Amino acid sequence: MNDIKDNVDRALDEIGNNQNVYATGRVVRVNKYNIEVSGLNDVSFYEAINVADKASGYIMGIYPNKVIVSLVHVTGEVVPGDLVYALKKEFKCQFSLDSMGKVIDIFGNDLIAGKRFEKLVEVPIENPTIPIMDRSPVTREFLTGITGIDLMYPIGKGQRQLIIGDKKTGKSQVALDAIVNQKEKKMVCIYVALGKTKKEVKDIYFELTKRGAASYTIIIASFNDELPTRTYLTPYVATSIAEMFMMQKYDVLVVFDDLKKHADVYREISLTSKKTPGRDAYPSDIFYTHSRLLEKGAQHIGGGSITMLPIVETKSGDITDYISTNIISICDGQLVLSAKNFARGEKPAIDYGLSVSRLGGSVQTSDMKKVGTKLRRELLSYLEVRSVYELANIDEMSKELQKKMKDGKVILNKLKQYKFSPKSKEEMKSDFAFLFDDNANASGTNDNGSKEQGNGDTNKNTSSNDSGSSNIEGEKNTSGDSSNSKEVKQGEQTKGTEA
Amino acid sequence: MTVGKIISIFDISIEVVLDSNDVKVGDILQVQGNEKYRFEVVEISNTSATCISLETTRGLKKGAPVELVSNGIHVEYSDKVLGRIFNSYGIPIDKQGFDSTEKRRVDHATTSLQELNIESQILWTGIKVIDFFAPLQKGFKMGLLGGAGVGKTVLIKEIIHNVYTSLNSNAVFTGIGERSREGQELYAEMKESNLLDKMSMVYGQMGDNPVSRSKAVYAGLTMAEYLRDEKKQDVLLFIDNIYRFIQAKAEIATELKQILIGNGYPSDMASEMSKIEERINSNQNGSITSVQAIYIPADDLTDESVQTIMSYMDGQIVLDRKIAELGIYPAINVFNSTSKLVDVEKIGERHFNLVEQVLKTLTRYNELEEIITVLGIEELSEEDKMIFYRARKIRNYFSQPMFVAEAYTGIPGQFVKVEDVLNDVENILSGKYDDMDESKFLFIGKVS
Repeated sequence: MNDIKDNVDRALDEIGNNQNVYATGRVVRVNKYNIEVSGLNDVSFYEAINVADKASGYIMGIYPNKVIVSLVHVTGEVVPGDLVYALKKEFKCQFSLDSMGKVIDIFGNDLIAGKRFEKLVEVPIENPTIPIMDRSPVTREFLTGITGIDLMYPIGKGQRQLIIGDKKTGKSQVALDAIVNQKEKKMVCIYVALGKTKKEVKDIYFELTKRGAASYTIIIASFNDELPTRTYLTPYVATSIAEMFMMQKYDVLVVFDDLKKHADVYREISLTSKKTPGRDAYPSDIFYTHSRLLEKGAQHIGGGSITMLPIVETKSGDITDYISTNIISICDGQLVLSAKNFARGEKPAIDYGLSVSRLGGSVQTSDMKKVGTKLRRELLSYLEVRSVYELANIDEMSKELQKKMKDGKVILNKLKQYKFSPKSKEEMKSDFAFLFDDNANASGTNDNGSKEQGNGDTNKNTSSNDSGSSNIEGEKNTSGDSSNSKEVKQGEQTKGTEA
Repeated sequence: MTVGKIISIFDISIEVVLDSNDVKVGDILQVQGNEKYRFEVVEISNTSATCISLETTRGLKKGAPVELVSNGIHVEYSDKVLGRIFNSYGIPIDKQGFDSTEKRRVDHATTSLQELNIESQILWTGIKVIDFFAPLQKGFKMGLLGGAGVGKTVLIKEIIHNVYTSLNSNAVFTGIGERSREGQELYAEMKESNLLDKMSMVYGQMGDNPVSRSKAVYAGLTMAEYLRDEKKQDVLLFIDNIYRFIQAKAEIATELKQILIGNGYPSDMASEMSKIEERINSNQNGSITSVQAIYIPADDLTDESVQTIMSYMDGQIVLDRKIAELGIYPAINVFNSTSKLVDVEKIGERHFNLVEQVLKTLTRYNELEEIITVLGIEELSEEDKMIFYRARKIRNYFSQPMFVAEAYTGIPGQFVKVEDVLNDVENILSGKYDDMDESKFLFIGKVS
């Protein structure tokens, strides 16, 4: 009896002191998506908050007589004086296990159907880092079906491989190719669209559905016209979802498209909340923003893994700007796409000199590693020699050099591959078997080349081989090159539609 | 006993209202009865303390009572550090249990001029390009500079492989703000090759908060000092990557709303670096040789923090993206790489002259390359042609198959003696190998 009386008394006291047992406060200032609230005293950092029926968010700053709330979901205009409720629990997002094949947001909505999922689970925005001792080595191959990647810059399950390049160089396409190639491989794929247009996202959704890849893919989207705070949180929440699968021993692929946009959004939020800017006006913790996200890409000791393919867009081919180098230094390698190669028709437009895989052969099977290391060495040395000897007379070159120039052209042609036309390991190996024919002299290589290609499945191989040999006759062949590439592309296109 | 309660929280910075006079800067506080929430005091007034959070602030409640735990971060100061792997706060993370013998606070005095010992001997690494252009000495600080993804970590691992295994002394590896995957791999590799029992590791990796990343170096230093002063050893201290220390400091300074200098670096960057680098020295007890990887943000070698770190180094090895692009590894820019040992009195006349000659040849090669892109090789004089071909051979010769990169290159690693390097370079320059194809010099040990 006394207890009840005490409680009522305390409640009355608190109301008298302008406090409230239900932890409510009032909005006193609105600065875009950051609001200042007074009267909320008994709260914790990252607690979930509702503003009247208009908005929700979380506490991102607690001060002696005010709190700062970051809004992530707004349906009506928030004005000073609005009532604010602290929900007494950590801010979390929602996810439904029915999300496969759907385009979703981080609040449990099916965006294509335009409705909320029925069965939802709560996902934390971020989990603690995966401890060093809970990781195992990255050794299992992850095949993209793209020759230039699987042979020379291989990706392993649990690896973080950056895809970087200018606008319109096929960055997203490489990621989509990788997703499509996971059919029947028991991978869960999560495509995270950050600040993209709705049109772009719908395109990707249709592409994946058309290729039968939707059944194992979740598209998590935050659009460019949504709150920056939402775009900022989306990759973290997507990673928490991926971790959920990893802990259930699934292998997960996560694509972030793209993190440059994410960095820009975070810069906007930081400057809005008046943090001191650093290099290029990004906040000092921009590295940590991405490092803690990408460190979740791992081979877990329990058996599951998260493979990450973050994408970064560059300007005029410069991969040495601040954000790019930050992310390069976090990832386990980068696949650089070059606008120049793209224009030449060398697709995928991989810049083989600048691309790196830090795990290299340790994620390849020994047969792939054998072909891959040889191929990479031959190609890089050809590309280097080509730039120096471009004007030299081919007849006066040493035998070794002549062969190198000839093989190099063949290699470049065989690396061309049209979109959505994955190759198997066997096809890749047989394409480059000619590199191991040591007895062949310069002319012999050619015969061997065509013989080996007889095993290949389409006429495109022959045409590329022809182009290889015919090109060698001429000294310079920019025009020859482009016409040949067109031929190849057509060949591959046919193959693509057949498949 | 509680010393106060929390009144404000913003990211990693926490304000505590004090009701006690016992709290000093550097002390460790924690939320009463909850080890998850621990803070270090960085600023103090007579009524309040500003703290930075060691782990997390998520879920931390305003008004929570706070107690004093210790007078600073302590790490193990005994033989028990060997073979173990710790976090920045000195807590073992290898899940093997731990009984502490003796602990010491991580901040300690720098070496005095009186204690400092600078006499020493050359330490050959077996890596051609380093031994030739930028040789190491016991007690040296060698900076390993490179932008993102040009091979710093591989090179540091190769040095560990070659020097640590052949020197047979103790080593400390400090991972700051780098990949956890690599931390796991190094630990596993060392364990597998039975090298772990003479090594301790400290990790504050890139997934950790800035406070953890800024503290790892102190823990590593304290362990290295133990091995030098108490065990009288020649200690190898590897730091990968010291730039991340300044980066973490910058993040903390921003959170504490301090005034920053250009590019967002903290204003006390140089003095904080001095407190660390001046502890890494040799004294009458033993030596500390350190190899420190230095990340170059945005490939900008003139970056203020990079320049600050460089001023403490006895030598520098600069990795270059343009060379990596050619497929030549280690991708070292020989024009920027040097050490204090490159001196006639220290490495001898022959070695010194060869370095000069090679640099001269390669400089001419760079000039010729520009001419060739316009005119072609045929237009060069006979002498220039000769220089051109020999320079390419030398450039290729300084590539090397590395033990730790075997999985990647498929070629077994090679340890090359410096005498062999000098002979080979002399022979290439004198024209003895003019008939050999330049590709024969790529990824070999010595010329056989």
